Amino acid sequence: MKVDWVTLGNFRSYDTLEWEPDPGVNLLLGANGAGKTNLLEAIAFLSTLRSFRSVPDTGLIGDGGAAAVIRAGVSSGDRERLIEVELSRGGPRRAQLEKSRLQKTADLLGVIRVVAFLPEDLDLVKRGPAYRRDLLDAVAVQLWAAAHHDQTELDRALRQRNAFLKSGLRDDTTLSVWDARLAQSGGRVMSRRARVIETLAPHLEMAYADIAGGAERAAIGYVASWGGDIAPEATAAEFTTSIMEALERSRRADYERRLTTVGPHRDEPVLLLDGSDTRTHGSQGEQRTMALAVRLAAHRAVADMTGEPPVLLLDDVFSELDADRSAALAKTLPPDTQTMITSARPEDVPVEGRVWRVGEGRVRPAGGDTVGR
Amino acid sequence: MFEGPVQRLIDEMARLPGIGQKTAQRLAFHLLSVEEADARRLAAAIGDMRDQVSVCERCFNVASGDLCGICRDTRRDQSILCVVERPQDIVVVERSQEFRGLYHVLGGSLSPINGIGPGQLRIGELTDRIGREEIAEIIVATNPTIEGDATAMYLARELKPLGVRVTRLASGLPVGGDLDYADELTLGRALAGRMEL
Repeated sequence: MKVDWVTLGNFRSYDTLEWEPDPGVNLLLGANGAGKTNLLEAIAFLSTLRSFRSVPDTGLIGDGGAAAVIRAGVSSGDRERLIEVELSRGGPRRAQLEKSRLQKTADLLGVIRVVAFLPEDLDLVKRGPAYRRDLLDAVAVQLWAAAHHDQTELDRALRQRNAFLKSGLRDDTTLSVWDARLAQSGGRVMSRRARVIETLAPHLEMAYADIAGGAERAAIGYVASWGGDIAPEATAAEFTTSIMEALERSRRADYERRLTTVGPHRDEPVLLLDGSDTRTHGSQGEQRTMALAVRLAAHRAVADMTGEPPVLLLDDVFSELDADRSAALAKTLPPDTQTMITSARPEDVPVEGRVWRVGEGRVRPAGGDTVGR
Repeated sequence: MFEGPVQRLIDEMARLPGIGQKTAQRLAFHLLSVEEADARRLAAAIGDMRDQVSVCERCFNVASGDLCGICRDTRRDQSILCVVERPQDIVVVERSQEFRGLYHVLGGSLSPINGIGPGQLRIGELTDRIGREEIAEIIVATNPTIEGDATAMYLARELKPLGVRVTRLASGLPVGGDLDYADELTLGRALAGRMEL
């Protein structure tokens, strides 16, 4: 998959921008605050329909304007398509694919796939389980566009159930209705997570070995909120039943604490190194390697499953790495993949590619055609 | 800001759904430029609607008497009720011309976030009807949203013990569409609700 061109209108720091990236490796260089990340954010938005900096749509609209527009020509195999998304302050998002209006913006999912490496990726390993749940759910959306709908529904059902518990009313019929609705979407979300883990696991083991070069074995596990592992081959309906049973068991606790204490929103995916939790047992270096390996594994897994490598975005990643890991990451970057790398210090980036200067709301080709080391 | 009365109309109209400040402004100045009789007719239509429209005592549809046109029509099947969230939904079901029973308007769907529980919907009135009228089947036609689903499940749990048959509208493929174009979600639901041939 490739982005052939992209234009931005009133998107963050860009009034208007037209950019035709190289189909191979692009190095976007510029000072901090020059707008490098904004450009990657726009491209990632088309793929995931959310900002990788977790800001609401209105945060993406440039100062003073009422709406932001992202347009892009993307190609997949020999099929070229035009995507247009408009984010406005007052109303809902609007999206067009090949000039025809989509009923739901979510219908864009899967048209262009990206995997993004971000400076804060260490959070995936070091911080709470929510980061790892989000990671699994994000990979699920890249693989099955309908996953987005189930995740949104789960979130909504959970908020409704919590609102009911917060009201302090005790009405088992009403609660059981929200249990059922939560479990229905939750079962689908859990079964997708289980399948993502199954797909990701072999890639993670290899990606970790590729970067670390050592003998440690990286793996990914999943502990359900009611304790214990999950059966990867379980169907969505079986997960739904398990969630229903868990919700029933915790009914008293939920009434008392006025919130939903079990469910997929409390599950804990774990990243393991030789069987122990990298979050608590890994060294700083192992945690950093794990974060890179997880992203790389996601890229390889999605490429494998869909038959096409997603666009790879690396936002200011090399400056955080020591020379050995930088070199190892550079070596493992997949070939035949459109890649966009941002950096304020080109000397940190041991990768060759087309060089672009970013600044003052523009992206210009640098003097020579290809530079690098 | 415009002269008092103009601004007041703009503010009132801007509170309507789907109308922003700019549209409200355009409408207000339009009403100022047309014949006075035209503007007064609009004002009178709004007043008349509020004066003359009532809520049907039986099904809570909009009516212009004690009962709505549908409840007054004795040719309709009195043993089957279609439960909808809002009066507008009745029009949609009527357009299909497939349904000849009566309706019951709930007045919304369960949504604790918005403070709407069973007590805020006309569910008690529905169980009263089941006790009073000869009703054999309830078709639940709430929206296929989280809240609509939850409301349907709630109704099933409350009404089945009363000995009526409770059904839910099927969701599936759009008629006249190619299988190619069905999204994964719709197709998934259609598969789950497949029928014996």
